[in-house]
Amino acid sequence: MSDVEILPVSTPPGVSRRTFIKGVIAAGAAVSSAHYLFRPSAALAAGTSVRATFPRLLTLRVNGQARPVDVLPQETLAMTLRYKLGLTGTKLGCDRAECGACTVLIDGTNHYGCSILTHTVRDRAITTIEGLEAADGTLHPVQQAVVDEGGFQCAFCAPGFIMSMVALLDENPEPTREEAAHALAGNLCRCGDYNKILNSAMRAAEYARRMA
Amino acid sequence: MAVIRDMIPSFELFQPASVDEAVDILARYGDRSWVLAGGLDSLDWFKDRIKRPEAVVELGAIDEIRGIRASGDGLEIGAATSLTEVARSPQVRERFGVLAQAAAEVATPQIRNQGTLGGNLIQDTRCWYYRGGWPCYRAGGNICYAGTPRSMNREHCVTGASRCVAVNGSDTAPALIALGAQMMIRGRGGDRVVAAEDFFVGPAIDITRMTVLEPGELLTHVRIPGSWAGARFYWEKVRDRKSWDWALVSVAAAIVESGGRIERARLAVNGVAPTPVRLRDVERLLAGLPADAGTADAAGELATRGFRPLRHNDYKIPLTRNLVRRAVRGTAA
Amino acid sequence: MAEKLIGQDISPPDLVAKVTGRAKYAEDFRAEGMVFAKLLLSPMPHARVRRVDARRALAMPGVLGILRADEVPQEDAPGEQALTDEPRYVGEPILALAAVDETTAADAIEAIDIDLEPLPFVIDPLDSLRPGGPDARLDGNTIDGGGVKTIKWPRDAFAGLEEGRLPMGEVTDEWTHGDLDAAFAEADLVLEDTIVHQSLTHHPMEPRSSMAYWQNGKLHIYCSTQSTGRTHGAIARQLGLDPDDVVLVGQYCGGGFGSKIAGAPIYQVSALMARKIGRPVMLRITRYEENYIGRGRPGFQAWVKMGWRRDGRVTGIDLFIVQDHGPYGRSTDYLTAGTVADLSYQPAAMRFRGITVYTNTPPRSAQRAPGGAQIVAMLEPLMDKAARELGVDRLAIRRINAPGHDAQFGPNRGRLTSAFVREAIDVGAQKFGWTAKSGLSGRRRGTKVTGVGIGLSPFVGGSSGFDGLLLIRPDGKLHIHQGIGNLGTHSFADTARAAADVLGVGWDRCAVIWGDSSQHLPYSSVQAGSQTTHAHTRANHAAAMDLKRKLQEIAALDLGGSPESYDVGDGRVFARGNRSRGLDFSRAAQRAIQLGGKYSGHALPDDINEVTVRSATALAGQGLMGVAKDNYSHEGGTWSFVIGFAGVELDVETGDVVLVDYLAATDCGTVLHPRSLAAQLHGGAVQGFGQARSQKWVFDPKWGVPFAHRLYTARPPGMLDVPLEMDWVAVGAPDPETPIGAKGIGEPPLGAGAAAVASAISDALGGTCLCRTPLTTDVILAELEGRAQPNRPLEIHA
Repeated sequence: MSDVEILPVSTPPGVSRRTFIKGVIAAGAAVSSAHYLFRPSAALAAGTSVRATFPRLLTLRVNGQARPVDVLPQETLAMTLRYKLGLTGTKLGCDRAECGACTVLIDGTNHYGCSILTHTVRDRAITTIEGLEAADGTLHPVQQAVVDEGGFQCAFCAPGFIMSMVALLDENPEPTREEAAHALAGNLCRCGDYNKILNSAMRAAEYARRMA
Repeated sequence: MAVIRDMIPSFELFQPASVDEAVDILARYGDRSWVLAGGLDSLDWFKDRIKRPEAVVELGAIDEIRGIRASGDGLEIGAATSLTEVARSPQVRERFGVLAQAAAEVATPQIRNQGTLGGNLIQDTRCWYYRGGWPCYRAGGNICYAGTPRSMNREHCVTGASRCVAVNGSDTAPALIALGAQMMIRGRGGDRVVAAEDFFVGPAIDITRMTVLEPGELLTHVRIPGSWAGARFYWEKVRDRKSWDWALVSVAAAIVESGGRIERARLAVNGVAPTPVRLRDVERLLAGLPADAGTADAAGELATRGFRPLRHNDYKIPLTRNLVRRAVRGTAA
Repeated sequence: MAEKLIGQDISPPDLVAKVTGRAKYAEDFRAEGMVFAKLLLSPMPHARVRRVDARRALAMPGVLGILRADEVPQEDAPGEQALTDEPRYVGEPILALAAVDETTAADAIEAIDIDLEPLPFVIDPLDSLRPGGPDARLDGNTIDGGGVKTIKWPRDAFAGLEEGRLPMGEVTDEWTHGDLDAAFAEADLVLEDTIVHQSLTHHPMEPRSSMAYWQNGKLHIYCSTQSTGRTHGAIARQLGLDPDDVVLVGQYCGGGFGSKIAGAPIYQVSALMARKIGRPVMLRITRYEENYIGRGRPGFQAWVKMGWRRDGRVTGIDLFIVQDHGPYGRSTDYLTAGTVADLSYQPAAMRFRGITVYTNTPPRSAQRAPGGAQIVAMLEPLMDKAARELGVDRLAIRRINAPGHDAQFGPNRGRLTSAFVREAIDVGAQKFGWTAKSGLSGRRRGTKVTGVGIGLSPFVGGSSGFDGLLLIRPDGKLHIHQGIGNLGTHSFADTARAAADVLGVGWDRCAVIWGDSSQHLPYSSVQAGSQTTHAHTRANHAAAMDLKRKLQEIAALDLGGSPESYDVGDGRVFARGNRSRGLDFSRAAQRAIQLGGKYSGHALPDDINEVTVRSATALAGQGLMGVAKDNYSHEGGTWSFVIGFAGVELDVETGDVVLVDYLAATDCGTVLHPRSLAAQLHGGAVQGFGQARSQKWVFDPKWGVPFAHRLYTARPPGMLDVPLEMDWVAVGAPDPETPIGAKGIGEPPLGAGAAAVASAISDALGGTCLCRTPLTTDVILAELEGRAQPNRPLEIHA
């Protein structure tokens, strides 16, 4: 691992020769230590608490309810929902905006709950999978359509897909199958149940129209 | 220190209500600060614990940098406008369709709902060595891990490399270059305007940055002149998966024809270089020629002249050539 | 009599919970005082831990403790431990740390000072076979029936590597049947090719998180598993606990595909950490970690020579496979691949040679049709090539070689229980419209070329010999206890209907009990290898027959006559010819409790497994019990078959491929549940599309570090990467060797999807077989443009 390859270079403008040498040493030192190729991160910020002036306590509007909650500045909405508000229907499949299992509605639009800071949605209406049923337990037309189609397999992706379907139908009550596919393309299903999921979306559109 | 790639370390969050306020905070914290818009690029870095700002300046509360409005004979789009809004805007679709198309093919619906035009333009490269936290040139080291004879560089560049072989991942950037857009920038020292094609910087100029933005500066608006409104546009993005993926290569073109000949054209490609590339030679070639297959072939050849493949990405040369051909022909057929 | 439930579309009983977010997966459970664990993963592909200094981490406020490799169960080579001081792949967990919250735990992991000594590593199996080449393990580079050993090939074996010829040398496994020389001599066409198949990470949607706590000496563990009963036993065994001291809850499993068959080693960490620090511990596994510890399908570097008669009949196959193994255990995909090739094409003679090579890449395990999915995706395009060269229709060449009921296959010349393969090809071709659509093959519209493909994919479809456990409770409801898991195939519910139908009970009077070891589950198959449909329709049928007999006996006892003069249906046992004379199930259950003995579960059959004995004993006295071992005849191997038909549009200027059409035709015996069958056929196909088209497994060869470790770089197919609509059809002929006639169908759909797409792409390229997966845009465009392929010949981790 000593044969570190260095591309032939000339020192670029604005970068001193000294910076280069520092780089070499840093890379070399990494070889036998724990970080291997990974550069060490900057030292942890001394004292992990935020400034007292920052209002950590906030009230979220979730599923029509006002929910006071203590939120760290760096906390994502998915974490707040799952670990502080007990709303575990919102799933973490990747935590990196790559799978859609954490999809929630923010003011009616679908977002990845894993990739938005809770503090940035303070004044907005948040809807999760738990907020779709009517007070009397009647399923939302989308949920009912999924049940009637026998939709989903492992269903870990289901809450996210369902939220995206709700967002779709809210905006486009009569989607074509292709439009539905595009609207749901930000949700991954590893069981590969896309055909049945699309069937469910089309049935949901039908139910929603009938109710309207 | 051991490495872990999860949980965002603590930072101080600022949510200013104006650009000036944001610029003040950025100035106060200097290189310990970070601008957060849609957050899709930023949170990824934070969760990997590779970028660790002390102060994060979140732009969501700044109304002045959101929305699309007429400006002169063109449009002005706030940098914090969502990609969904850009893609759906009737003004953008009717007059500058290439931008609407490009915005509509970014990532996924959820990402477009949250991701901003500015964020799409400023996003950091997805070189997997660099994103993985390797101490490469771009990260302040003095090696490019992606450019060696044994590196895995299928998605890296075929032109414009200078030590670093990473590519720019923006879809809207080539569209805005084709439209002759201008970037409105504000910093402590005041405002400045930079042409879209000059907004992006390659590693030869600054290896740690993707754009001309200096620390403490904000991209506030993108101004699109009316000069290409209603031109014949072409947009195509080739990618491995039809959602989520960045482009392997993308092309954006605006072409104005009259009397069966190309009067003027602007073309840009992305995914081939550390910056989106405006094809000036091709534009010059095209002026006065008929938009036929012969012209298209010549344009494709010219566009890729001097391209040099790395170990795994030779395909980007014919791909770029063919996409430029298609852009000139105006059709995939 | 109630209408038979089998064959109907019935939504599974867990679906409302799934659509409302009430379904609890492992990471959804909370316990009083719960804290969080995080893992320190190896940054090196192979290393030894020289020193760990966690003092700074342990001194941080909120940090509760660490767990090291010497505190988890020790495994003999080549077994895998939950934590290790000799990590053998990047991402292998070295230690765990617990803290009051996840951020603190992550901060504390960073504060651990760890020193690793780099050891030699190998990523490409061929490198390890070179003379003096590095080994992934200190004790050897391969394994056979006798254990870990070292095999190196002479230098001259590698002479043709740069030209793309697979090096060949000593192997660990070899078998032959028939006269291979004669078979090739008889052939009118002989083709040979070198083929590369990538490894693939499973990436189920739910990462393998777990939460554990201890109460009154009992371990309570909430984890994601494909097989509840068999994971319960495995965890008890691993931790040296009495099964009665483990409560395992895994009602929902967010996908496994073979990666969570009996849980996962990492579940030991939450359990042992919880015991060590005396707090409930949640170990949330990130996607990044899931990529490393979440298993993968082994890749192959292979060479094949095949011979055909003029009419398309395969005469001989000579197959050589080098398998990329990862660092642990023994994956037998390569062996299965040989068997599947032999079964699929029924050659007069075949030779198989194979070796599996340890590499410093993530551990492998079964992944949906292990071995089968790889080999059919590799060989089906060759069948097309042969058909083209011989001028034989591509459907006809499959028909003429298809195994029939009398087929023999593999090293042991096994026999099948049934094989309606030609029937499946025929119904599939008809519904797909093969004649019309194959006529479009090669059609050029603008820059788009149409390709049409076929993929035949067989795989094992069932085991037998497990137990069924049923209880009619005094409320008259039939409780069907299932030790299999719930990973989304719906089989925990679908196989229960075998019991309901025997007893003529409506589905609304049935309750399926699953997913919680404290609910008294019978000894069950693992929920893997397409076993459960077959195994548990049988077991539930057997238990239901036992229950039916007991109902008849109770009726005879109370109402006179012989047991045989009574029948059951509609929740009653009644006299034949006089339905009014009888007992309802509620009354029968009460009578069983009074009668005791076998009726109440106090006396049990002596051939049932001890797991079932324990559960039945716990349930004894609560109603009328039906309990039995599946002793039904099972002669021959149970295999299911899927034939995929795919249509693609390939852009000759970009190499882009759009899947426009897909139909799966199957022989899986009796159709248990049409809608879940369709889901298996289509879902498996989608995974196959990813295997053939997009899914990547990339390592930097110099540093041994992976890059396709995120979903965006691993690239599993999304909604827009599959046809907008997919179709299916089933032969539906019952398998004669099982009472319900149903065979398992989880595995073969994947290979069919992969092979059909590979075949269709090859068709669009005018018959060119690119002989590798995945067939990404760059690979296709390089071929179209006549340029250098992006990967070196036989390069496997690109």
